[in-house]
Amino acid sequence: MNLNTQATGSGVAEKSGSRLWKRFKKQATLHVFVGMGIAFLLVFAYTPMFGILMAFKDYSISDGIRGIFTSEWVGFRHFDEFFRDYQFGMIVRNTIALSLLKVLFTFPAPILLAVLLNEVKNNGFKRVVQTISYLPHFISWVVVVGLAFSLLSTDIGMVNKLLLGLGVIDRPLDILTNPNSFWGLAVGSAVWKEVGWWTIIFLAAIAGINPSLYEAAQIDGAGRLARIRHITLPGMKGTIVVVLILTIGSILGGGMVGSNFEQAFLFGNSINNPTSEIVQTYAFKVGLKDGRFSYAAAIDLIQSVISVILIFSSNYIAKRSSGSSLF
Amino acid sequence: MNLDQKQKDRVMDTFVNVTLFVIMLSMLYPFYYVLILSFNKGTDSLLGNVYLWPRSFTLENYAQFLNDAAWYKAFLVTVARTVLGTVSGVLFTCLVAYGLSHRDLLFHKAYFTIIIFAMYFSGGLIPYYVVLRSIGLLNSFGVYIVPSLLNTFFLLIAISFFRDIPGELKESAHIDGARELVVFYRIVLPVSMPLIATMALFVGVGQWNSWLDSAYFVQSEELRTLAFRMMEVINRSNAPMDAIAVANSSSAGVTSYSLQVAAMVISIAPIVCVYPFLQKYFIQGIMLGSVKG
Repeated sequence: MNLNTQATGSGVAEKSGSRLWKRFKKQATLHVFVGMGIAFLLVFAYTPMFGILMAFKDYSISDGIRGIFTSEWVGFRHFDEFFRDYQFGMIVRNTIALSLLKVLFTFPAPILLAVLLNEVKNNGFKRVVQTISYLPHFISWVVVVGLAFSLLSTDIGMVNKLLLGLGVIDRPLDILTNPNSFWGLAVGSAVWKEVGWWTIIFLAAIAGINPSLYEAAQIDGAGRLARIRHITLPGMKGTIVVVLILTIGSILGGGMVGSNFEQAFLFGNSINNPTSEIVQTYAFKVGLKDGRFSYAAAIDLIQSVISVILIFSSNYIAKRSSGSSLF
Repeated sequence: MNLDQKQKDRVMDTFVNVTLFVIMLSMLYPFYYVLILSFNKGTDSLLGNVYLWPRSFTLENYAQFLNDAAWYKAFLVTVARTVLGTVSGVLFTCLVAYGLSHRDLLFHKAYFTIIIFAMYFSGGLIPYYVVLRSIGLLNSFGVYIVPSLLNTFFLLIAISFFRDIPGELKESAHIDGARELVVFYRIVLPVSMPLIATMALFVGVGQWNSWLDSAYFVQSEELRTLAFRMMEVINRSNAPMDAIAVANSSSAGVTSYSLQVAAMVISIAPIVCVYPFLQKYFIQGIMLGSVKG
């Protein structure tokens, strides 16, 4: 074959072309399968990417897709308007505070739960606790907020009725409608919902630790706390780093548990708005509700750009410092 | 092991067990609470002090739910989108993954680049809305199905799963003259049941719980999903001083609140029934996802 190629010269291109075509024809069905997927991505992922242009234009929804290209350029006017918005400071503060607080608490919680579960000697009890702990992961945020309402609302909330009845409080606690309690509510409900789910990964990491390490430590006289500190936690290090990368990359959406938008949207109301309005809910309101598409796209774009930078830089730092990385 | 050590051990055991027991109760009780409320007379529930079992047992809340046109319709829409969305999403994703699982596929590098890029970058909500609008999916049932046909996360998992299927299985079918679609349907799918069960669980739960697409892309009351209706009711009663609306009772002591509680139980029930049985699959799934990322 090699000889042939050298000898014929000009015939090569034609020949390898027809060979390629033959191979392609043989794989035709497979290319149809994959082609459907690529077509799907072109429509639902790539066309919207071009839509980002509208953030720099005066786009009107009545012009459809073509309007993205034909509408008038306005440069950074929409960005400028957002920065000057009287709510800008509040919205940015809420977004950052909510994201940081959620990561701060939802990241260590499953690690602690995994360590606790690992200390249980009764396997049946361990399995029951674990199975129940990830039930909330599969429930929608709407239902979780509904549960919170049933338990915590001032008029029908079970907790308020109970505490009032016992005389512990003399006024119902307004947890759901108090700007000061929104961040705590969001963090608490996020931990409640997702802690069991992320425990799965950390328990698997613990399961991978060599049992002889524990035996050796026991012979050396290490107590259980010492074993947790010197064997269990170091044994989870690789997994912890990977999850931390995931978390930091997605921090503006709420870290690994995500759902900043859903929480702010569902728990948010007119009273706790000063602490519950975040970039995403604001973009939704001005965009789809008020119909200011270009302005909302600009706000969205700011958050996306920051997120992408965070993903790549956290991955880079992790690669540099520990050798674990996602890509 | 001396006595002191043993005692310490027992203290620790007690601490661990009690803590976990409390955590377990805190996860379970909210669900149990709405369950008993859903079987309690609506007007009676408003008085409070129902903690462990229904005080005034009734099935009226569920009967009303089925009689209420809006709730019932939302329930049907949700069932329909869950069934159709899950079947089509899993099949479509698997079909694309099957094509891509052939290492000798021409242009497979280009295909992968297109897919990975789409996983990391997105145009955001507003341009996405414009696209859906221009292809006529806004305000139609299709908006629940078509945009979720391909799941890129499960696409990658499925590709690596299909690659691990022994080549001889597929080869022997090819020799018999079977076409790719037949190989996919007769050989690949049946040996991939763990993968399909995992995907079906996640895609199905996502469809069942979904309300954002209903809020973003649908205006028609006819097309509202169960989760969306619940969101509406919660948003209304979440507003301050709206207790009166809650107490606005209809027949047989059913209130809008007790109706909402019944809806919550109906939306939780299928998930509670299904997920314990699929446990071993989705634990494999999350591990695979975290390793291959």
